[in-house]
Amino acid sequence: MSHISRRNLLVAALLASVAVSPAVFAQDFDADATIRIGSLYEPQNLDNTAGAGQGINEAFNGNVYEALFQLTDAGAVEPKLSADYTVSDDGLVYTFTLKQGVTFHSGEPLTAADVKYSIERVTAETSKSSRKKSLSTITSIETPDDATVVITLSTRSISLPYNLSYVWIVNDAATDITATEDGTGPYSLEEWRRGSALALSRFDGYWGDAPTNGEVIYTYFTDATALNNALLTNAVDVVTSVQSPDSLAQFTGNPAYTVTEGASTTKELLAYNDRVAPFDNVKVRKALARATDKAKLLNFIWGEYGTLIGSFVPPTDPWYVDLTAVDAYDVESAKALLAEAGFPDGFEFTLDTPDYDPHPIVAQFLQAEYAKIGVKVNINIITANEWYTKIYQEKNFQATLQEHVNHRDIVFYGNPDFYWGYNNPEVVKLVADAEAAGSVDEQTAKLTEANKLIAEDAAGNWLYLYPQIVVSAATVTGYPVNGLNSQFFAYDIEKAK
Amino acid sequence: MTTLDQIAAPNRRRRFGSLTLWAGIALVGIHIAVGLLTVVWSPYDPSGMTGGRLEAPSWLHWAGTDRLGRDFLTQIMIGSRIALIVGTGAAAIGAIIGVTLGLLAAFATKLLDDAFAATLDILIAFPTLLIAMLVVAAADTANLGSAIFALGIALSAIVARLTRILTKRVLLLDYITAARTSGTSWLGIVFRHILPNIWPTLSVSFALQFGLAAIAEASLSYLGLGAPPPNASWGRLLQEAQGTVYTAPIGAIAPGIALVSLVIGINLLADGLRDSVDPTRRAR
Repeated sequence: MSHISRRNLLVAALLASVAVSPAVFAQDFDADATIRIGSLYEPQNLDNTAGAGQGINEAFNGNVYEALFQLTDAGAVEPKLSADYTVSDDGLVYTFTLKQGVTFHSGEPLTAADVKYSIERVTAETSKSSRKKSLSTITSIETPDDATVVITLSTRSISLPYNLSYVWIVNDAATDITATEDGTGPYSLEEWRRGSALALSRFDGYWGDAPTNGEVIYTYFTDATALNNALLTNAVDVVTSVQSPDSLAQFTGNPAYTVTEGASTTKELLAYNDRVAPFDNVKVRKALARATDKAKLLNFIWGEYGTLIGSFVPPTDPWYVDLTAVDAYDVESAKALLAEAGFPDGFEFTLDTPDYDPHPIVAQFLQAEYAKIGVKVNINIITANEWYTKIYQEKNFQATLQEHVNHRDIVFYGNPDFYWGYNNPEVVKLVADAEAAGSVDEQTAKLTEANKLIAEDAAGNWLYLYPQIVVSAATVTGYPVNGLNSQFFAYDIEKAK
Repeated sequence: MTTLDQIAAPNRRRRFGSLTLWAGIALVGIHIAVGLLTVVWSPYDPSGMTGGRLEAPSWLHWAGTDRLGRDFLTQIMIGSRIALIVGTGAAAIGAIIGVTLGLLAAFATKLLDDAFAATLDILIAFPTLLIAMLVVAAADTANLGSAIFALGIALSAIVARLTRILTKRVLLLDYITAARTSGTSWLGIVFRHILPNIWPTLSVSFALQFGLAAIAEASLSYLGLGAPPPNASWGRLLQEAQGTVYTAPIGAIAPGIALVSLVIGINLLADGLRDSVDPTRRAR
């Protein structure tokens, strides 16, 4: 499997699923192999409710911790620790039956109390989980017996199983899991050397199919070039996510390596503060959208990789529709719109730009593009921490750049208090109604409608969708190619003998 | 034989000394000429995305293009201007603050002077770049001005210490005592006797400071704390070329050569200056 273009995503997925089938390569792989995974995302701690960052999802989701449901690499929500569930007619009471024979790494059996404890960890006051709000409709969690969990909601929530796929089931006896763990996954934590590596070893008491390897070591790098060099010198087997097309030249066309391009959910966004002038004016936002040659930008940043999107929704979300034609690149109409909005000579704004790639270069592109319609962009470089305080918390900005990694996150536009302050009552209602929908079809229809509305409003400027590129040694197969929500399931990875 | 060698040696050194001076002047002169040229003309608009992504050097783009298709030679040339502005600005701020403080310390009472010397030693113990980073972090936004100011502050400690030592040495000389007894004011002594005496040595130091500032500015920009885009600082060019070093190595090599040539030029200039002002090295 050499380089696969984004047009052949399905083929890639098929090939990948063939590759992981043990029947095909039975005994061709080393069942006790150590898989060394190179990544740029070291977790800050080991608890996903304590602001650990995306690295913890990469290392622990599905590997060390499991949830009632799992978001598969193909984007489907499948039962994991939940054997079965029923929903009451009014959609407010969910009754889950747990899988039998599941034990934690500490040896204790999984009980309903652990599930209750784990959900409450996420919804707790002190939790820093980004999914806290989506579980806020839960009014009570009951545990009539050890194998049954009854969740009661205040309003219908069709995404509950999906949202529960983010809730790690943790042993309720575990005290501090910021530096240790007690999950039910196929691997247990062997060692975490802060600043360098995190080692997982096969858990022999695992309830499901045993992993096709013996040990997984995530090695962390702060520099992408160093990470690529590690793969070239055989210090790692897989690079989870390549962040620049230029380093790929070393691997494409070389039979010793495999390059796959999967579907990512990471969107590069020029977010305006829609509360403040001039960005409260829809004409100004549409003008800037039309003045952005996104195809040119994507080519500059990613070469032949990546995808253009016309809104915040990537093709892997069920409510995706192609909206790239809305506010397509047209400098003349952009100028006309600006004049209509009362800015015939343009205006000036400050673009708070995170200091890491690709934001500074994207900012320079926008600066040059918008100069053509008389809009002056002042680039203010800030750190990731400053972004979090100044923009996300204090909402003190005019415009900013950010990469949004989450899957199914159009719902952010239904929250007028979100950092970008987009407030369209119609969208707020559609997002709320979609959540209360009686069927997936209804939910999809409503969110598709919301998707079209935010695109028409140019609520943000969705520049492009990142590609998800995984590079590995050709001897290693069976890893996830899409990396939804930064997950990187390691249990199907095989290494040739 | 021995006699001949002893006579010949200073002459050789002197010839070499003037050679370094001229080489330094030439290198720095090229940068100054290029920097001045960019004020009125550059091959392309620095932010104009005129070419393709990472084009190789060609007749149209002599140093190729960057990731946004901008002419790389134009950026390097503007980098000369930025480096000169920062070097001159920072060295000037460092000189004004440093010389003033150094003179005050030299004239102060013993206790004050000791305290001052200790403070300077502590300041100098911190790397220039670290102090500059602290100053930039304290300012709200990073821009060219804040970078110059930060580096100027960071360099001033070195100037202050040198000024203090040189001034104290001059103050011990007989003619200062003579000037004092004849009733010359302190300011008169400073301007008529001290500054003209310490100036040659200080000027060498300023040249070295200029080189230090140019490197430090590149480091600040590399870290994203220098002049913000679109100012084409060499440090930022180096930082942006980091990810493309295998596919387009010129992106890293060209700003590197530009920075090295300026700093070598400055150092040669400083060496040459020192040889011509230092009485112990002057040919007899």
